[in-house]
Amino acid sequence: MAEITLTHVKKIYDKSVVAVQDFCMEIQDKEFIVLVGPSGCGKSTTLRMIAGLEEISAGEIAIGGKVVNRVPPKDRDIAMVFQDYALYPHMTVYDNIAYGLKLRKFPRRVIDQKVREAAEILDITDLLKRKPKALSGGQRQRVAIGRAIVRSPKAFLMDEPLSNLDAKLRNQMRTEIIKLRQRIQTTFVYVTHDQTEAMTLGDRIVIMKEGYVQQIGTPRQVFHDPNNLFVAGFIGTPQMNFFHGELHREGETYFLELGGTRLEIAEEKQQHLRQYDVPAQPVVAGIRPEHVLLTEGEGFSGQVDVIEMMGSNTHLHVRFGDEECVIVVPDGDEPVREFQHGETVQFMFHADRIHLFSRETEQNLEHAPAAPAAEEPAPATEEPAPAAAEAPSEP
Amino acid sequence: MKKPRLFGRTALTILAAVFALLFLLPTVLTITNSFMTQSEITANYGQVFATVKQGTSYIADTINLKFIPDKVSFSQYITVLFRSPDYLLKFWNSVILVVPIVILQLIIASVAAYGFTRWRGKVSDVIFFSYVILMLMPYQVTLVPNYLVSDWLGILNTRWAIILPGAFAPFSVFLLTKFMRRIPNSLIEAAKLDGSSEFQIFKNICLPQCRSALYSIAILVFIDYWNMVEQPLILLPDASQQPLSVYLSTINSGEIGIAFAIAVIYMIPGLLLFLHGEEYLVEGIAHSGSVKG
Repeated sequence: MAEITLTHVKKIYDKSVVAVQDFCMEIQDKEFIVLVGPSGCGKSTTLRMIAGLEEISAGEIAIGGKVVNRVPPKDRDIAMVFQDYALYPHMTVYDNIAYGLKLRKFPRRVIDQKVREAAEILDITDLLKRKPKALSGGQRQRVAIGRAIVRSPKAFLMDEPLSNLDAKLRNQMRTEIIKLRQRIQTTFVYVTHDQTEAMTLGDRIVIMKEGYVQQIGTPRQVFHDPNNLFVAGFIGTPQMNFFHGELHREGETYFLELGGTRLEIAEEKQQHLRQYDVPAQPVVAGIRPEHVLLTEGEGFSGQVDVIEMMGSNTHLHVRFGDEECVIVVPDGDEPVREFQHGETVQFMFHADRIHLFSRETEQNLEHAPAAPAAEEPAPATEEPAPAAAEAPSEP
Repeated sequence: MKKPRLFGRTALTILAAVFALLFLLPTVLTITNSFMTQSEITANYGQVFATVKQGTSYIADTINLKFIPDKVSFSQYITVLFRSPDYLLKFWNSVILVVPIVILQLIIASVAAYGFTRWRGKVSDVIFFSYVILMLMPYQVTLVPNYLVSDWLGILNTRWAIILPGAFAPFSVFLLTKFMRRIPNSLIEAAKLDGSSEFQIFKNICLPQCRSALYSIAILVFIDYWNMVEQPLILLPDASQQPLSVYLSTINSGEIGIAFAIAVIYMIPGLLLFLHGEEYLVEGIAHSGSVKG
């Protein structure tokens, strides 16, 4: 059993720099958790605190039900894959993988068996006699993973393991990690700044910003139901479109005014707004580029500014008024038509796909309002762990 | 444009060659002359050390610098190695002074450097800074304090008066610290997660990666102490314990040929060490930041 529980974990450097603030989370056994966020958001610090490489300033970390705040890294029974692989350059691949087992005084025969098994899983049997400098980036990555899996630890921690690889290799290794996870079935905590990695790998994603957890949820939840403006903008490529508008309320009915145009709001969203008694207010309306539809003569009108041909779809950057809207035009049965720079196009939004964020608090208005707290953002909502990994329809 | 550049390069090459020859000349002369017979040496250098009055010698005006021996002879070497055990004894004195210094210095410097690398803080930075200051001081500055401390410890006129100050050398600590600080922290963290104790991180991870720096230090320290003169003269006045480096200067005018042979024998250990570890020496110094900033 390797649940990892973080309770009000905090990390402060030099008595003033807050790296991680009040991190609370329960990671289930065999769950794949991805910590994602921009540089300096505290994701790596959180991972290093779980590993025991950083002391925690406050709170409690438990692994497998045992509080490990004062347990040294070697006694936590976890393995970590580092961003720079951290392979011992003076040792062969075999020795790199076997090192941890040798220190734990496993019999030589068992070490050999385990190393060869790990090498076989990762397809690096031919490389066992080589030194790390004679390996490519992808091969080093495999060795680093091999060193981690050979000990059969309670949990794997991975700190941006793919960020040093080129795009093609990164995609390939991402698939390898998914296969590896299916094969070895243990708890993973994975840190990345790449939201695509987060969406494809994680059972649940933790989105962080400036030391605070912004949202914890499945890829589908964070994509379709972001907690706040930051999550909405961070998750999804191309980024969600944001427009300034006004939320109006007439009795029990809400509607959105955008650039002088009155837009209806889907009934499901109306219910959420009514549930939290959201008052009329200035809002930021968010709509994903995939949910903007090109129309013939109705809706908003704008000029095509930039055309990006992506292969299976085309990204149009359309300027209307002071705003810019990105539209993803997918290929249907036939290839998408050619667009011209400066061409006028009409478009409209899926009413049930519009997200409404408070312009003041930047929180999603469909979610429970945050408890008032001085200088601290609202605590993140933690969604329950799903029974199985869910993949987003189109991240 | 090409001609002036070619001319400049040729001129520089010739200049460098002349300087190289000037530097090589004494060594070549020593080696070739060590294979001359005693009579040939006397014929060539008879006037170099001419006795004038009351045993005082001076360098005469007329000498005959000769590089190629008329007849190759090993008689000087036979005298040094088999007929005069004094020379070998002095050679052994050099060995038992220098080898412990090299070994102790490597051990102490690597442990100190590991400390400076792993535990960074204001205190350790101040101590490290004081090491750098100490390193900048010439040996002669610390000679008197060394003498006083040796006297106080009661080790004056023993080998320990040279070995102990030699074992604690700031330069080696500085060089190794700079080297160890280049080892990525993630390697040390990976070792920790693999289950290494602090000593195992030092022994299994840090030291093997400092091999070139350790080799450089060993070579530099060996050559430095192999050629020492001031320390034994002041801290080890007992002539029977003095190394060959001091004894070489006491060889009198009648034994110039032997002096050549001893000088050649004396060169061999340092030369072998240098040739064996030349690659490490360059790598070690370059990576430690002593050459490249």
